[in-house]
Amino acid sequence: MPERLPITLILPAFNEARIIEQVIRDIRQVGNFRIVVIDDGSTDGTAAKVLAMGEQVVRHPLNRGAGAACQTGISLARKYGWPYLAFMDSDGQHFPEDLEGLITTMQAQQADLVIGSRFAGTQNQIPYLRRFFNTAANILTNSFCTHHYTDTQSGFRLLNQRAIAALDLLQDDFSYCSEMIILAERAKLKVAETPIRVRYTDYSVSKGQDFQVGLLTAFHFLWKLIFK
Amino acid sequence: MEIRFFQVVVPLVALLFMANQALRYRRGRLNLGEALFSGLLWIGVALLAVFPDEISNFVAALFGFKSNTNAVLFLGLGILFYFQYRIYRLQVAQRRAITELNRQLALDRFEKAQAPS
Repeated sequence: MPERLPITLILPAFNEARIIEQVIRDIRQVGNFRIVVIDDGSTDGTAAKVLAMGEQVVRHPLNRGAGAACQTGISLARKYGWPYLAFMDSDGQHFPEDLEGLITTMQAQQADLVIGSRFAGTQNQIPYLRRFFNTAANILTNSFCTHHYTDTQSGFRLLNQRAIAALDLLQDDFSYCSEMIILAERAKLKVAETPIRVRYTDYSVSKGQDFQVGLLTAFHFLWKLIFK
Repeated sequence: MEIRFFQVVVPLVALLFMANQALRYRRGRLNLGEALFSGLLWIGVALLAVFPDEISNFVAALFGFKSNTNAVLFLGLGILFYFQYRIYRLQVAQRRAITELNRQLALDRFEKAQAPS
């Protein structure tokens, strides 16, 4: 059992009223973490459900994207001096128990940023199309990195204070996943991966990126890298 | 030289715009640089309308295009592409500004909610 770290769990959420309560209950069963939901302009009452459960919510007035929500989480951590920040998807895809693996990896490898990888060693049942797009994203992201990563698009991540201080995300959309890794390498942070489990339901698959959004994400990512 | 309809209308319209820009400059709504640039632009438009073949042939020869039609098409595309690039950069900057405002507002509200009443 890894030494318990004082972790704040950030859940970026957009219209997750259907499942957010279950996600929070699952997290509470694992540990007594500080949970902060970043409500990215939801219109389905996500924030109200979170508040009713006694957890904290930061509400974006407008929907700006997962990247913007993550940067808000990082800004909060800086403001309140939270030493460890974990990001988890709000669609029920991730298992909160896997946070233990991220903690163990961070401590064992002295890593600053740990990414939960769906493709590293575990036999996850990932839809074929999702696997294909993730492979394409990995190829693109890894071409700008010095190390090779197996899951550059995973939203399950753990940051320590060095990473919290160093990472200034500019991408609003899902390309923040790639941006975070590239920025971490540029800041000479230690980035590690650890296997995680993932569950895909019709609901969680519908919340992910489709082909058109994926293409736009890749375009924005390349544009920002080239033209800054 | 046969005078075509647009060779009369376009210079007249250009003259009107130049007069308007001159008035705006006099009223202090444009600086000298903007007024001069605008004037040169409209003079260029008028000249292009009065001497379309001569100017397009000159441009084609200058850039090595096969014909003046190609020159107009490709240079036009190039100009459009440039403006599209400028617009996209503006849009990216504005998106970033909106996101920052959005985030700051959210953080300020959260901080106020956390403050002891």
